[in-house]
Amino acid sequence: MAKNCPDYINDLNDYLDGGVSPELCAEIEAHIGKCQNCRIMVDTLKQTVTLCREGKEEPLPEALETRLRSLLKQRWDQKFGQK
Amino acid sequence: MNERELITKAQSGDFDAFIELVDTHKGKVYAMVRRLAGNRQDAEDIMQDTLLKAIDKIEQFRGDASFGTWLYSIALNQARAQFSKSQQADLRPIEDYLPMNSTAGRHEDIGLFDWQDPHQALESQQLRGILNEVVAELPYKYREAFLLRYVEELPVKEVARLTKQSEASAKSRILRARLALRDKLSRIFEAEYGKELS
Ligand SMILES: [Zn+2]
Repeated sequence: MAKNCPDYINDLNDYLDGGVSPELCAEIEAHIGKCQNCRIMVDTLKQTVTLCREGKEEPLPEALETRLRSLLKQRWDQKFGQK
Repeated sequence: MNERELITKAQSGDFDAFIELVDTHKGKVYAMVRRLAGNRQDAEDIMQDTLLKAIDKIEQFRGDASFGTWLYSIALNQARAQFSKSQQADLRPIEDYLPMNSTAGRHEDIGLFDWQDPHQALESQQLRGILNEVVAELPYKYREAFLLRYVEELPVKEVARLTKQSEASAKSRILRARLALRDKLSRIFEAEYGKELS
């Protein structure tokens, strides 16, 4: 019996991450081929991850660096004694 | 000097060796903390607590993982401690994110919005703002699972270990987070540029 869209939802993530059996993979692909919503679902789930990976890394703010340096030194000296 | 030697020196009280270790790894740790925290103030607090904790526990570091990984897991514990205090609403069950209304039954009734590439329609700064906002809105346990899996690109098993969850539970959080993010982004994009497309 053919599966309905809800039956695929739990497998979609595994499918996208490459973790389903070849049989299930083929079945999902056949379904996506004729179901517009599931096709959009898969595409946009994929994009969700791609978009979240974008964006440059923020370096540590300079004020934080400065503050940290003296805080860490203080804690260090408390622990190990001043050298 | 290699990491092993720096650690031995740091453990016997050499501050400069400790700072050298921290300097090597702090960028990556801060980048993760910054995403997890969702705002700069919390990120700075977590980063500070992480490094202070690293000093307190420096002699407990055994060297079975790299120093970076060790810092990383301290940071995760600090972030979790900070955010578990704030009560956040849970995400909706998986079924709610199905591409159809479960009461209507036929998915043809509701056509999902196909975003295509949002870079085409939105300024990159606006898009970045939207993304930061939707990720920050996720309840912490989902945000953490999602970011570790897809931004840090860790295997599910590792996400489970770091978040102290079973693999099944980590997997479910990752999926729900991804579905929820997709859902939020769809609504925002449809409102922002959906009309122009149709
Ligand atoms: Zn379908």
